[in-house]
Amino acid sequence: MEEDILTTLKILIIGESGVGKSSLLLRFTDDTFDPEQAATIGVDFKVKTISVDGNKAKLAIWDTAGQERFRTLTPSYYRGAQGVILVYDVTRRETFTKLDNWLNELETYCTRNDLVKMLVGNKIDKENHEMDRAEGLKFARKHSMLFIEASAKTRDGVQCAFEELVEKIIQTPGLWQSESHGRGVQLTDEDAGNGSCGGYCSLV
Amino acid sequence: MAADSDPETEVFEITDFTTASEWERFVSRIEEVLNDWKLIGNSSDRLPIEKGEYTRSTWEEKSQEINFADFKFYITHYVLVQDQQTEDVKDNVEEDAFPVAMQDLLCMNNDFPPRAHCLVRWYGLREFVVVSPGANCEAIISESKCNLLHSSVSIALANSGCQVPLFVQVQQKWRKMFAGECQGPGVRTDFEMVHLKKAPSQYNHLSGLLDIFKSKIGCCLSPLPPVNIAIRFTYVLQDWQQYSWPQQPPDFDTLLGSEVGGVEFGKLPFGACEEPISELHLATTWPNLTEGIVVDNEVYSDLDPLQAPHWSVRVRTAENPQCLLGDLLTEFLRLCSRKESTEEVLGRRLGEDEGKENADISSALSRLTEPAAAVPISKLSVSNMVHSARKHIRRHKRNDESPLSADVLNSVLLYLFPDAAVEKSPDSKNKTANTNSSGKSEQEKQSDHNIFLQLKSAPSDSLTYRLALCVCLINYSHGGLRAVAHLWQEFVLELRYRWENNYLVYGLTGGPPDLRCCLLHQKLQMLNCCIERKRARDETRKAQDGNKDRERKVSGSTNNSGSHECPTLTPAASSTTKEVSPGKSWDSWSDSEDEFFECLSDQGEAEAPQPEGEKEVNKSKAEGRLHPYNNMTLLHSAEPLYVPVTQEPAPMTEDLLEEQSEVLAKLGTSAEGTHLRARMQSACLLSDMESFKAANPGCVLEDFVRWYSPRDYVEEEEVDEKGNTVVKGSLSPRMKIPGNMWVEAWETARVVPARRQRRLFDDTKEAEKVLHFLAVQKPADLTRHLLPCIIHAAILKLKDEEVVEDIPTVRKSIQQATSQASKLFSPFNQDHKKLEDFISQLISMEIAITRARSLKAKFAVSEGEKAEDAAELENFVSSLLEEPEVVVLGAGQGPAGSIIHRLFVSAQRAALLSPLDEDFGNDRKQTGGSNKVPDFPPPAGREILLRTCVPRPAPYSKALPQRLFCVLMKEEFRLAGAFSLDTAFF
Repeated sequence: MEEDILTTLKILIIGESGVGKSSLLLRFTDDTFDPEQAATIGVDFKVKTISVDGNKAKLAIWDTAGQERFRTLTPSYYRGAQGVILVYDVTRRETFTKLDNWLNELETYCTRNDLVKMLVGNKIDKENHEMDRAEGLKFARKHSMLFIEASAKTRDGVQCAFEELVEKIIQTPGLWQSESHGRGVQLTDEDAGNGSCGGYCSLV
Repeated sequence: MAADSDPETEVFEITDFTTASEWERFVSRIEEVLNDWKLIGNSSDRLPIEKGEYTRSTWEEKSQEINFADFKFYITHYVLVQDQQTEDVKDNVEEDAFPVAMQDLLCMNNDFPPRAHCLVRWYGLREFVVVSPGANCEAIISESKCNLLHSSVSIALANSGCQVPLFVQVQQKWRKMFAGECQGPGVRTDFEMVHLKKAPSQYNHLSGLLDIFKSKIGCCLSPLPPVNIAIRFTYVLQDWQQYSWPQQPPDFDTLLGSEVGGVEFGKLPFGACEEPISELHLATTWPNLTEGIVVDNEVYSDLDPLQAPHWSVRVRTAENPQCLLGDLLTEFLRLCSRKESTEEVLGRRLGEDEGKENADISSALSRLTEPAAAVPISKLSVSNMVHSARKHIRRHKRNDESPLSADVLNSVLLYLFPDAAVEKSPDSKNKTANTNSSGKSEQEKQSDHNIFLQLKSAPSDSLTYRLALCVCLINYSHGGLRAVAHLWQEFVLELRYRWENNYLVYGLTGGPPDLRCCLLHQKLQMLNCCIERKRARDETRKAQDGNKDRERKVSGSTNNSGSHECPTLTPAASSTTKEVSPGKSWDSWSDSEDEFFECLSDQGEAEAPQPEGEKEVNKSKAEGRLHPYNNMTLLHSAEPLYVPVTQEPAPMTEDLLEEQSEVLAKLGTSAEGTHLRARMQSACLLSDMESFKAANPGCVLEDFVRWYSPRDYVEEEEVDEKGNTVVKGSLSPRMKIPGNMWVEAWETARVVPARRQRRLFDDTKEAEKVLHFLAVQKPADLTRHLLPCIIHAAILKLKDEEVVEDIPTVRKSIQQATSQASKLFSPFNQDHKKLEDFISQLISMEIAITRARSLKAKFAVSEGEKAEDAAELENFVSSLLEEPEVVVLGAGQGPAGSIIHRLFVSAQRAALLSPLDEDFGNDRKQTGGSNKVPDFPPPAGREILLRTCVPRPAPYSKALPQRLFCVLMKEEFRLAGAFSLDTAFF
């Protein structure tokens, strides 16, 4: 079983408190939804193996608490993540406007700058939308992220979000291959001295 | 051979190959290969070769093995890749035009190519095939074998109709002897060669060679068509005379002799120790002469290099010149593979010597591992250590060596800890640990910053970085491994001294460890965090001492530090997971007992408030308030809601973090695992709750949530019984889940202000852990930790040096290397080989820069007499670095030309005159014929190319290209002739 797993990927889920990060994760990993999902303390962790384009990837997903105070604690776990899901609540504008802070946080604490980011507008099943899809799209475009609207409750977009993210990561080889065959820097002359007559030669 | 005779032959006629000889098989094998490579047929449809195309375009070669019996040969095809191969030329081609090779014999556009196969140089060919003995096979030396081989290719060419010249290599390989043939419709060219050690005197000049050429052609036409002559003389300059290599190896001794010498430790040495340009080759060319225009015979020569219309220059570089930076890096890397531990290296000796009068170094180290409490060693500071180091130097003068001399150690430590130079008064304690230097531009800073991130090193003004430079230099020039071990020991001692005496470690950015830096840097930052916490605690206590005159139970940190803690690196969390009692399980990470965040105040006060009695608590007892929160008031009283003073979260280094995430991940993904995880991480939440309770007597969970997680407090407008709309708030559903962790924690939380809580971060323990970690690092470990920093420093150094010289190729290499470097230190595979390769790349950049420097010095680029000359010289020098051969504009009369001339003149004078009559410049005009010293040495090589087009073998034959290329050198005389003949009637 283990052999056919292409790679293990570390994925983060971040965003303001109460936007449904843990619910999204639970929907994805267990396909369940609990309206009374307890508020996360610190970080939580789930594993799921998915198959994208015939490639099996094991996802280690770190779910984080959104509360301001926990932010002194959670960013330590950002290290080495290859993908991040930024979640906001479409029915609460302030969760969207705070996204810039989260991006800054990523910038500061992530060890790699090429990690794949996905923006997820959650809770689209609700009626009182404060956020337009277009705004999300615009933001995602500005920061070169993937974007999708989803609902952990109705499972809309959830599976898709994770799959897209993983696919993108796998398409970015440097990101997940522990060590790719490095292309060397060539400084020396390549064509010095070979060939049957003892090489290309000048007079002296 | 008969194998592919036309299909018309009667079918019943059996062709029998069963008795074919090895030789026949060999010939047919050659034909097959020529066929496979599609070299058969008319080759005259090619474009004429343009000037310099042999140098600009690329050459392709492919090779195959063929056997003559069990003797192995290689057959190799060389061809110039031409850019445009227009088809339309094809139509104009006459049926029986000459093969392209014959046309090439006369083409004058690519004489003396700077870099080409020797056959290209000799015969001007753009395409040819060579059959040569295999790698480990003996050379074809006997005449009959040579003839046999020659006949084979001749037959193969005739059979296949291939028009590409086919050569065989005979004699020893180094002689580069080839014989060959090219066949076309009714024409044939024979390629012949003479190779002797010495030029026979009658042929040692142009006129003698012309005689050979003419007699070989054997033309009876009269007058003979003119012979075209191209000549190139090559002069070699090896002796640079007054341009002796400017780089002086740095004198490490004087460098350290002075008191301020320590500053020099911040600089990496750079440059080559020897002349990186070994030779300059000047080629003077007369590209197009006709017989009779010049005279060159035994007694007289018109060929004065100064008058040659065309000059070009190439430089030969020294192979692997010794370079300082490169050496330094190599030595440093070598240190990585040493296995000895610090103690093994230094032995017990140091410790024994010192134990009597000073704090014992080895015991200072072992104190980390031994539980027994130690007396604070106030004696150990930088100055003291230097002092003591001096002492044992004095002693060691008697009984041999000490790894690091007192002076060196002194300057190194001063360089590392510049704050120690200032006398440590209580005021200086408050000096900030931050350093900020350099007035670089933003952009530069940005790119430097990128290097730092990619390498995961440390900021270039940090202690870690400076330590790396010191260790590297100490290793290189002050005693290698032992000195490094010594320095490291002193370094760790200084850190311990600072920890015990509350001096911040100088040269580190404050705040928690920066995970983007190397682990060692994080550890040092961690130590600083510990010192900072401890100091804050001590200061508060001091303040309290002043105010209160009460009896108190001191838990002074230095006294009980490490009293019963072994500095183990086991994740503390593992113990927590097993705990059952709810009361205890909240105390998550820290195992230590009676250490409080700010340990002070009487115990009685702390015990007074009961968890259940929150509401009854007297308001006046509110403690640890930071500031009111958004004008909010408590829900059950009119008191403002206060943000409490809270404990800072524990700073973490990446290895601790790794351990912790592992522990968290190991709990699995079950609900139980999730629960345990939450519980393990709730120490911080609990502490905050306790502080909150202390700051807000009479508060409820709702109050806490309004501050801590505002979105979990839902407010709705309601109409109360009096008809007024009031805002009514309640906890969000998820906070109301019975038994959820927030509620549970709230109920457990006592009323304790942060300063009386148990410390979330046990600085004493963490500091000891760090110091232990540092102390057990072997010199090799240290080297590995510092390697990113030193590579970082080397790249910066190269960058700086490159900026001075402005060499685009080197700049590009530096960029490439930088981007590649990030992979070097990936935690998964520290590949020693890759590091070596990387360092050799850096070395080659260093060499390239020193070459540029050397050439610039020689061509006086910076001294520029005239602006335009300076620009031209600069171009000239940069082309010399990047191209195999560079044309000297204006030949001997141009600015570069006159410098080269001067170089030769002075070398000549130095070689031939006594040092006394060295006066330059007075008589420059003197040339070859003068009785004084000639300006140029005899040419190291002369190449003479003779070409003509005459009918052979009979006067009525077609006029065909004839060519003779002559090479005259001190130890070699070679004639490479290509003579064509009309085969129509012969």
